[in-house]
Amino acid sequence: MNKIHLTINGVAVTGNAGDTILNIAAQNGIVIPTLCHHHSVKVYGACGLCVVECEGSPKLMRACATKAADGMVINTESDRVVAARKVALELLMSDHEGDCVGPCSLNCPAGTDCQGYVKQIALGNDYEAVKIIKNKIPLPASIGRVCPHPCETACRRKMVEEPISIAYLKAFAADNVLNSDHPFKPEMQPKTGKRVGIIGGGPAGLTAAYRLAIMGHTVTVYDAMPHMGGMLRYGIPEYRLPKAILQKEIDEIAALGVTMQNNVKIGKDVSFADIRAAHDAVLVATGAWTSMSMRCKGEDLDGVLGGIDFLRDVALHKAPDIGEKVAVCGGGNTAMDACRTAVRLGAQQVYVVYRRTRNEMPAEELEINEAEEEGVIYKFLTNPAEILGENGKVTALKLQVMELGEPDESGRRSPVPVEGKFEILPVDSVIMAIGQKADVSGLDGIELNKKGIIAADETTFSTNLDGVFAVGDATNKGASIAIAAIGEADKASYVIDSYLKGDVIPYRKPYVSERVVTPEMLADREKQSRGKMPVRDAAERKNDFKEITLGFDEETARKEAARCLSCGCHDYHDCSLIRHANRYDIHPDRFSGAKHHGFVEQKLQVIERNQDKCILCGLCVRACEEDAKQGILGLVGRGFDTVIKPEFNCPATIEVCKNCKKCVNVCPTGALKILDE
Amino acid sequence: MKIVVGQGSCGIAAGAQKVYNALENAGVQNVAELGVTGCIGMCWLEPIVDIYENGKLLHRLCKVQPDDAKNIVEAVKTGDFEAVKQLCITEDDASFLEQQTRIALRHCGIIDPNDIDGYIGADGYQAIEKVLKTMTPEQVIEEIKVSGLAGRGGAGFPTWFKWNAARQEKSEPKYLICNADEGDPGAFMDRAVIESDPHNLIEGMLIGAYAIGAAEAIVYVRAEYPLAIERLTAAIKQAEERGYLGENILGTGFSLKMRIKAGAGAFVCGEETALIESLEGNRGMPRLKPPFPAQAGYWLQPSNINNVETFANVPWILLNGGAAFAKMGTETSKGTKVFALTGKIKRGGLVEIPMGKTLRDVIFGIGGGIKDDKAFKAVQMGGPSGGCIPADLLDTVIDYKALAATGAIMGSGGMVVMDESTCMVSMAKFFLDFTAKESCGKCVHCRIGTKRMLEILTRITEGNGKPGDIELLEELCYAIKDGALCGLGQTAPNPVLTTIKYFKDEYEAHIHDKTCPAKECTDLLQYTIDKDKCVGCTMCAKKCPVGAIHGEVKHPHEIDSEICIKCGQCYKVCRFGAVNVR
Repeated sequence: MNKIHLTINGVAVTGNAGDTILNIAAQNGIVIPTLCHHHSVKVYGACGLCVVECEGSPKLMRACATKAADGMVINTESDRVVAARKVALELLMSDHEGDCVGPCSLNCPAGTDCQGYVKQIALGNDYEAVKIIKNKIPLPASIGRVCPHPCETACRRKMVEEPISIAYLKAFAADNVLNSDHPFKPEMQPKTGKRVGIIGGGPAGLTAAYRLAIMGHTVTVYDAMPHMGGMLRYGIPEYRLPKAILQKEIDEIAALGVTMQNNVKIGKDVSFADIRAAHDAVLVATGAWTSMSMRCKGEDLDGVLGGIDFLRDVALHKAPDIGEKVAVCGGGNTAMDACRTAVRLGAQQVYVVYRRTRNEMPAEELEINEAEEEGVIYKFLTNPAEILGENGKVTALKLQVMELGEPDESGRRSPVPVEGKFEILPVDSVIMAIGQKADVSGLDGIELNKKGIIAADETTFSTNLDGVFAVGDATNKGASIAIAAIGEADKASYVIDSYLKGDVIPYRKPYVSERVVTPEMLADREKQSRGKMPVRDAAERKNDFKEITLGFDEETARKEAARCLSCGCHDYHDCSLIRHANRYDIHPDRFSGAKHHGFVEQKLQVIERNQDKCILCGLCVRACEEDAKQGILGLVGRGFDTVIKPEFNCPATIEVCKNCKKCVNVCPTGALKILDE
Repeated sequence: MKIVVGQGSCGIAAGAQKVYNALENAGVQNVAELGVTGCIGMCWLEPIVDIYENGKLLHRLCKVQPDDAKNIVEAVKTGDFEAVKQLCITEDDASFLEQQTRIALRHCGIIDPNDIDGYIGADGYQAIEKVLKTMTPEQVIEEIKVSGLAGRGGAGFPTWFKWNAARQEKSEPKYLICNADEGDPGAFMDRAVIESDPHNLIEGMLIGAYAIGAAEAIVYVRAEYPLAIERLTAAIKQAEERGYLGENILGTGFSLKMRIKAGAGAFVCGEETALIESLEGNRGMPRLKPPFPAQAGYWLQPSNINNVETFANVPWILLNGGAAFAKMGTETSKGTKVFALTGKIKRGGLVEIPMGKTLRDVIFGIGGGIKDDKAFKAVQMGGPSGGCIPADLLDTVIDYKALAATGAIMGSGGMVVMDESTCMVSMAKFFLDFTAKESCGKCVHCRIGTKRMLEILTRITEGNGKPGDIELLEELCYAIKDGALCGLGQTAPNPVLTTIKYFKDEYEAHIHDKTCPAKECTDLLQYTIDKDKCVGCTMCAKKCPVGAIHGEVKHPHEIDSEICIKCGQCYKVCRFGAVNVR
């Protein structure tokens, strides 16, 4: 065969005469993107993605269809080519309606593949489920218990009846694997010899330690407290997250070779400079450990405690004397943890003082109810005006009575004092659970933001100091939930890895396709009630710190997992369209307009076609005609309204289908799907 | 004497058949011979009745009504045409044809399209006889090369080159295809040729088939041309009967079968590779080029495709010599070109002129200028694939190169004239709507890109245009030009690009000021009544179809803008100029 010589992207390559530019490039390791080309069928040339620039030709050439000629000088990634591909992809995406991933995953700050692991749990593959979870969360048994689960908030199943119990399912699978003979072990990459120091052994620090250790780096975690776990250990009471379970998960991380050094306070036991000098990169993940003050008179009285300090002391077995009557100020999860801990410490009357009403409480509804079951008394529409005391000791709380006014920026109706109306609540102690802040002492030279906490770049997590990165509660917006810190730490780990390899690659939120779903679209789904988590009786559980949830049994868990609507596309991980879309950093919104159809599902025996996801590449049509020799499919309609349907729009044609699935195999998107048999 | 009624589709639509019947009923056959002819090309004067004496045109009667039949018969009988004087064409109107040079249309409106003898009597089938008996195929191609004839379908590719390429191919059989899928809005040149002079097309195709070595010829006609199909079918039959088609033509050993394929109404089938797909029974979608049809066309065999007008020139060229044809025109564009002159023009119809005339010659000379003496604004050349040319470029020479330089194209011959009341954004939207609907759906740029352009244009004309829309349109235009698979997609942005080029201020007025300078986009109009001018005649209130105008008699009226549908009736009926449009 005749050989020809050409230049592609500045590299001299050789190919067979008569072969296309696309093939010769591929033979030489140069990938030219395409969506409508497949070796099993004839060239079609519709998608316009494979265009390349050829010296001397004023027009872009379709590499799939153009035969290479001797001496051609081709550029497959010139600015003009990239711009053309971008527009082609943006146009395609502007008419592509589907969910790449489910709303659960999109709403998870760590981007956990909830649908993926719920599916594995439904199938009984807990190990596979944990493998998927640990891709983002190295502490699934712990997080499954404590996460306020934004995933469930977004879950579409609630349009049918109730969301999937995603968090508890996570704990279920994680417990099973953790307690099995074959606990999960990640695949480790070769050692790099690079050293990373992580300051703070909370959820963020541990996540980064896990990820960076897998990447082959030598990781040491420094923590000021006697044990690792951070807020998971010292902020979350035992009855919600048993320390033994947390420890087991921490031990798994340590088993990867991560060195864990406790009782090390930076700036006191070792200087920040020494830590920096001892490592190639440092991640600051120190969290937010200082309770915020209420700025009301009497806060210095004996018996006034910070919520976080109170919980930490209890975890350290140094529970303070809180007396019989306790007021907890605040309506968040820390307030719930504090009031329920106070109940368990034997307080007879525990009040939660909150300036709005139950509807506005940021704490989880389940916890609000459970606390009430345990005897907690809510004092809604009241706000501490002054803490009263005698002999330097708290005796009562003076409460300003409030009412709800106009909604504020957050949409919640803001509380307004009712002038002159006060209430006196006799108490022995007051716990302030109205927020927490980072203590950045010891981190010499690190730049702070206006709030006085660490300023970190939102895409690289880097600080003003070279090689120092920062994530979690100690940075930017301040304290948030554990999964948010985990998400940042996970992303930062990849940035740190890139930094250690010499080139900082910022985190870029992947582009995904999303669609809007209304309850009407799910009206045909059979109602199945949400699996109920068994909990210990309130009368019993209020007396001890033993875990209150008892865990799903096998049957409940599998059934619960099977409720998942599988919103995300089955083809997301293999979808060429989304892969190219991300490679070319597209912004299809600028072309947003009509989409060619509503939610259409059309069944071709065992094959389901989703017109909304179809990009009309014609591969299925050609595979059916040329490869399968059937010719069942054809294009129907004209212009924008063209769709792929049985040839000549004749439903009877479907009967001929032999279910060879060749159409499904060549589909570059998730438009075709084999129905579960 | 002979009385001939012009019966192209256009004439028939204007009532020519009724006139013909009325003449028959009035007994015209007792005083003269009654016949028909095809399209004369003067649309604005239809129905037209020509009166011949000894083969010479004696009188041309225009806008003839059935009621005129009696007078016409009487006039023919007596020779006194005074009674029908008002029907006789004016000198001014007659100049429409006098200023033309007709080659492709040379028989149109003169001979009877249903009668092969009429064609033969006008030198018909002499060229093919000359070719078959005295010339080799190579000599024919050479003669076409000398003539400089280029494809009249729009692209303007040299005809000899295509013929030669097909000739050079070794594979047999070869096919000759005539593209009669004339789909541009406002174009009707090819229809007129087939309806008026079908044998000319057959003869041109015979010559082409001989030149490339084809044994089968197919005419792909859009099904919306039933009369053309009817007349061509009859003409093919007549030609077969006379031995001009079929086996061993004129005893020379050359054979050619010819048939018609009616297209199902897809604009894209005018694109040659989509046409071939359609011929093969597939959905009309373009193929990738190369290979070109000359190498692998119909059934992947060497095929040559030319449009009707191209073939219509061929017999003349072979009979009169390529040099005679090349004498007309400019350096780069030879011969004549037929245009369908339409729109806001005084005299609309078919115009054939030598290349090299200016747009002004056509629009103001032959066409007589703008209707109602409004101001000329622009002319759209080449239909949806073409572009507009503004007033200050009226002296542009009609020549492939010169027209392309303006951003428009020669195209197949559509020439739509627009006056000051035409909104250029709306005009671009009209063509985009056409191309978006006619996109075959195959390639991304055309299928989705034209749709997005249409959406942007629509929002601009509805008053919802956003800053940056012009730039977004331009970006899409260039992306589609670069990325679309076939000519339909690649040229679809032309109307938008040229209107942005020459009338950007109109786009800006729509987007930024929310006004339509041509006062065509109803969503942007505001009708008000000037209280000082209104005398309270109530005319507007009576005419308003939605009851949006109220007021007492002899008191100024008012328009309720909430109810007003902006139909403009009030503006039209007000005799006091009291209705304002903004």
